[in-house]
Amino acid sequence: MLLLDYQNVLIQSVLTERFSGVPPVNIDQTVSDFDGVTFHISTPESKSKILVSIQVRCYNELLKYGAQQILEREYGPYVVAPEAGYNFSVQVDLDSLPDDKEARDDLIRRVSLLKRNAMAAPFENAFDEYHKLSEEASKFTSEEAPQGVQEGGEVKAIHYRDEEAIYIKASHDRVTVIFSTIFREETDRVFGKVFIQEFVDARRRAIQNAPQVLFRTDPPLELQGVPGVNNNGGGEIGYVTFVLFPRHLTRQRRDDVISHIQTFRDYFHYHIKASKAYIHSRMRRRTADFLQVLRRARPENEEKERKTASGRTFKVQGS
Amino acid sequence: MSIIQQVSTASLSDNWRTINIDALDPESSSNFDTTTLHPAFAPVSDAEIRNVGQQVKQLLRGGDAEGALRGALESAPYGGDAGVKEVHLQTVTEVLQSIKASDMTPMLQRIFKTEGGSDALDVLMKYLYKGMGASSTRALSRGSTLTPQSTGAGFSQMGGRPPANESSGSAMSVLLSWHEKVVDVAGLGCVGRCMTDWRKV
Amino acid sequence: MSQQSQSLRPYLQCVRSSLTSALCLSNFASQTSERHNVPEIEAQTSPEVLLNPLTVARNENERVLIEPSINSVRISIKIKQADEIEHILVHKFTRFLTQRAEAFFILRRKPVKGYDISFLITNFHTEEMLKHKLVDFIIQFMEEVDKEISEMKLFVSLQKYLVGDTALTLRIVECTGKICCGVVLDTDVETQPRGVQPKDGGRNK
Repeated sequence: MLLLDYQNVLIQSVLTERFSGVPPVNIDQTVSDFDGVTFHISTPESKSKILVSIQVRCYNELLKYGAQQILEREYGPYVVAPEAGYNFSVQVDLDSLPDDKEARDDLIRRVSLLKRNAMAAPFENAFDEYHKLSEEASKFTSEEAPQGVQEGGEVKAIHYRDEEAIYIKASHDRVTVIFSTIFREETDRVFGKVFIQEFVDARRRAIQNAPQVLFRTDPPLELQGVPGVNNNGGGEIGYVTFVLFPRHLTRQRRDDVISHIQTFRDYFHYHIKASKAYIHSRMRRRTADFLQVLRRARPENEEKERKTASGRTFKVQGS
Repeated sequence: MSIIQQVSTASLSDNWRTINIDALDPESSSNFDTTTLHPAFAPVSDAEIRNVGQQVKQLLRGGDAEGALRGALESAPYGGDAGVKEVHLQTVTEVLQSIKASDMTPMLQRIFKTEGGSDALDVLMKYLYKGMGASSTRALSRGSTLTPQSTGAGFSQMGGRPPANESSGSAMSVLLSWHEKVVDVAGLGCVGRCMTDWRKV
Repeated sequence: MSQQSQSLRPYLQCVRSSLTSALCLSNFASQTSERHNVPEIEAQTSPEVLLNPLTVARNENERVLIEPSINSVRISIKIKQADEIEHILVHKFTRFLTQRAEAFFILRRKPVKGYDISFLITNFHTEEMLKHKLVDFIIQFMEEVDKEISEMKLFVSLQKYLVGDTALTLRIVECTGKICCGVVLDTDVETQPRGVQPKDGGRNK
């Protein structure tokens, strides 16, 4: 069972080791994460000052939705000027760590959640927008709500991979999150569809509170007129829509929701690949079985052992 | 110069490398006249075969299924065109479908024992294969609607099977059970004669 | 479903008897090119040595075409494909097999149009292999391929796995994880004890 963590495990383990009180050493590690994110852990000034930098493809877009504020809120005193070639850096001084063990663990956790926090910006932004809109909307009855409240906020696009993007749109009664995901082959598309079907069925069966999930191969209505949505109708790109209802958007839930939804794509594609691998191994085995059956069709050329009069044995070649 | 040009313009319109030159050679083995392999057939007209069909149905209604089957098989229109053969196939299929499964084997055995019964069963075998082939070609010609369509949205078709043609499936299973019984009674040679006989139904 | 499996036996029986009759092959040198010996059913150069093709059909989506000739028989199978996922699986599986046609001797690299997989049996095959075993192989192939496809489909779309807590909301994202992975492990244990799990990446020892 694969359960993805939201933090970067490598950063976590490096920091845990460093914080445990062993003598400081030089570190220079480049760490990759999902969605083309790169981390750099290094000790440029002295062995006790660990610099963690992150590079995200869509950092400019994230900045637009308030990533800087969120990161500053999370990392406050640790934020330093970004390292060259990276978007954002935090520095931890081993000599001035918090004394409390729990506070240290919390620091490790927070640093390793760097990617998650950076990517959370547009979500938080959208959730705030939703709260604002719903407050405004509550002043009106649904018919006479002003145009802006009815339609909801603008669509926030985050192009977090080369050909894939997340679109987030807040309305007064829900937040819609749309993943565009590319399927390299037809098989992926069909498998993906079966898995998404599972979401739909599960919701129908037991988990009525789950967000609504939709899947289509052409851009949904929400994305009409959004620049960069290519509607070539080739069927290569699938759009997965999550509709988050107010009960998902409460203050105490939102952090979880953001974390979960970020890992959706990785889960999704992991399972498509796992299924393909499994089916491939099955086919391999079945092919071997077929060959076995076919081999039975060949008459056996048994090598018979024969004996001469003197009792010596020899083998007859062929039949 | 001009010759070369002619050739090149000719080859532009007609890819001469893909022309099957054997087909143009009257001496070639691919132009073997297969009509010499079988005796000439008397032509059968549409009206005649419909008449036969009526007679067979009459027998069937009268409760003489064996006579109907026998009559249908003995009046196979070797000399008819595709339409005529199709009509007779319908007649034979109708007779086959109206006979109960428990009656099949005894009836076949009775036919087999009579004079010319072996030939009748060979003809029956031909009709069985033709019947199975006909419905599948019809399915083919109806187009690729059977292959699952990729859909833009929704899952409506994911769970359920497409409405498989139930009637064709049951018609096939009748033919299949007839086939099994004919092989039981008349042996595998029946299938072999079916493949090699140029008198096509 | 029971009606389906009932009609499977006569279908396979019919294919078996048709094949057994069709596999009467003899050596026959090409009439068009000297010192050549080609499967006449593929060459199609001598109409007098081609026999009447036989179709055995169970329904519109499952049928077998047997094209006999003097020195070769071509057998084409259309495998049942009820929906999109079965279509994909059949395509993947037949492709997987035809890429290994070398090892299968009688497998044709490309199916005849309108069918999913084709076999070509020549007189050389029947000379060095046992005919009834070849027929057995085709029959077994037809049986197993259907079974395999439906098992694979079951794996992909196995659904009743999710035991959900109604209070969960976005946990569903994780639940897919459980569904799929659980199935990978479970089906392996149930049906294929010696199975290769995708996580291992290879057979043990």
